[in-house]
Amino acid sequence: MTALDRAAALQPVATGSLILALPKGRILGECGALLARAGLHPAPDYDDEASRRLRFPTNEPGLDVVRVRPFDVATFVAFGAAEIGICGADVLMEFDYPEIYAPLDLGIGACRVSVAEPVETAGSDDPTRWSRVRVATKYPNIARRHFAAGGVQAEVVHLNGAMELAPGLGLSRLIVDLVQTGSTLRANRLAETEVIAHVTSRLIVNRTALKTRPEVIGGWIARFRAALGQS
Amino acid sequence: MSDDPPPHPALLPAGLRDLLPPEAETEAAAVEALMDVFAAHGYQRVKPPLLEFEDSLFAGSGQAVADQTFRLMDPVSHRMMGLRADTTPQVARIATTRLATAPRPLRLSYAGQCLRVRGNQLTPDRQIAQAGVELIGIDSPEADAELVVIGAEALAAVGLSRISFDLTLPTLVPALLAGSGLAASDQAALARALDRKDAAAVRRHGGGLAGTLIELLLAAGGAPGALTALRAAALPPPVRDMAGRLEATVAAIEARAPGVKLTIDPVEFRGIRYHTGVCSTVYAPGRHEELGRGGRYVCGAAEPATGLTLYPDAVLRAAPPRQPRTRVFVPAGADAAGAQAMRQQGYATVAALAGCDDDRAEARRLLCTHMLDGGALIALE
Repeated sequence: MTALDRAAALQPVATGSLILALPKGRILGECGALLARAGLHPAPDYDDEASRRLRFPTNEPGLDVVRVRPFDVATFVAFGAAEIGICGADVLMEFDYPEIYAPLDLGIGACRVSVAEPVETAGSDDPTRWSRVRVATKYPNIARRHFAAGGVQAEVVHLNGAMELAPGLGLSRLIVDLVQTGSTLRANRLAETEVIAHVTSRLIVNRTALKTRPEVIGGWIARFRAALGQS
Repeated sequence: MSDDPPPHPALLPAGLRDLLPPEAETEAAAVEALMDVFAAHGYQRVKPPLLEFEDSLFAGSGQAVADQTFRLMDPVSHRMMGLRADTTPQVARIATTRLATAPRPLRLSYAGQCLRVRGNQLTPDRQIAQAGVELIGIDSPEADAELVVIGAEALAAVGLSRISFDLTLPTLVPALLAGSGLAASDQAALARALDRKDAAAVRRHGGGLAGTLIELLLAAGGAPGALTALRAAALPPPVRDMAGRLEATVAAIEARAPGVKLTIDPVEFRGIRYHTGVCSTVYAPGRHEELGRGGRYVCGAAEPATGLTLYPDAVLRAAPPRQPRTRVFVPAGADAAGAQAMRQQGYATVAALAGCDDDRAEARRLLCTHMLDGGALIALE
């Protein structure tokens, strides 16, 4: 019944540093501007995509930044590896992690999750008569839910990129993908037929972290909220 | 025919595991330490069966765990049975049937294993140990507070002194939504958005409630700040009464156990969904899992009740490591009374069943750290 090592379980709460997970790619630039307005300045090589470093210290001693794939931001935060993160609402819709709270809409990275199909077939068929349809996407759950809501089974072909190739090469009838300007669709002779959701990036926090360290996490939410007010 | 190799004999079904020495022993000791605190506060132990007919298992509050319950058909009665996924509904059944005439408030405790069809995102476990208390027949802030205070004392008994209780009011959001006049589809979307604390979706679906809800959503945190936000919020009278009850519960807890750390999340309504009043979730700093959960519910037809269930597996992962008994090797022919005395002092004695050439080597081989040598306890280096 004797404790061998009380130190491990009873470390002071406040000393653990926080991790902020940020997505590589599309919205990294917009994120940088927002971080600056929130008074957060990561090490200079953070927005250099060529840098091999993954974890960056910041001007805040209690907060480090990690740079991971957008889908992984949600996973890091859901499992508590990072306490805070920034990721698109598309990622949250896809994973639907109950451990993630999304208390702030950051209004950056605006785009939409849409259904698209080849220009030749768009509008030529009545989807309500379908029993099932083959869809290429990197959002299998969003696609299944969307079509199931209309009574159609989605046979999902899960791709990690270049969805636009799938209909032309006979891999699927439709695609469900992220659309920002629509130029990639047009270049591949695809037409956007339905918008599933408009998405922007969210500040996300780990549920348990908010419950156990409400002052620190709440403080960061307030800083980002104030930074949004300035824009 | 499949050419797959046969499964490894050690492979268990997903979410199930073996506990080995010394963890199995320390787990049992920890459960008993928790139960001792419950018993010391007058909570008497009951032991419901693992299986019961699904009509009784899913009656009342049991309905909430119906989809998490393994079911099988009783070959004797040909009726469907369920393997318990939560013990509280069973204790509620006992309280309203066999113990219907026992004096109220009725204080009962239990410890045992539950099985769930699926694990959750953070822990894939499908077999979950529970150790809990139920306080049946009284609806008061002091009753809610008693369970928080006893829970904190039980966790302190296993070395967890710095836990926090997150208090919630799972009835607040449904009551606000019901009186909001929002369309049913918006109410469903709003409930989901609040569950995820998705402020953007709350604003989209919240109509006239959006401002209040977002303020409450962002007020989650330390008890004083959250209570201030609740007092400032525009709440209709029935919801105002609920908030008043939460405040009274906080005051009752602080009066009895000033050191317990409390947080409040006014818009959270997650969990096993049979709760009808103030609920609590237990967290430990730096741990990403819940150590326990409890709250107010209706026992049987209309009896007020409140409970708290601790999860010993999670408690042990958060608690300081516990030292198993020290193993002492007793060579063949050693004095039996000496070994008996060692056991009485809390040592584990490992008896040689036959003489051997090198007792010290044999002691080490059997994972003993000490041995008896002519009646004296000596440490093996």
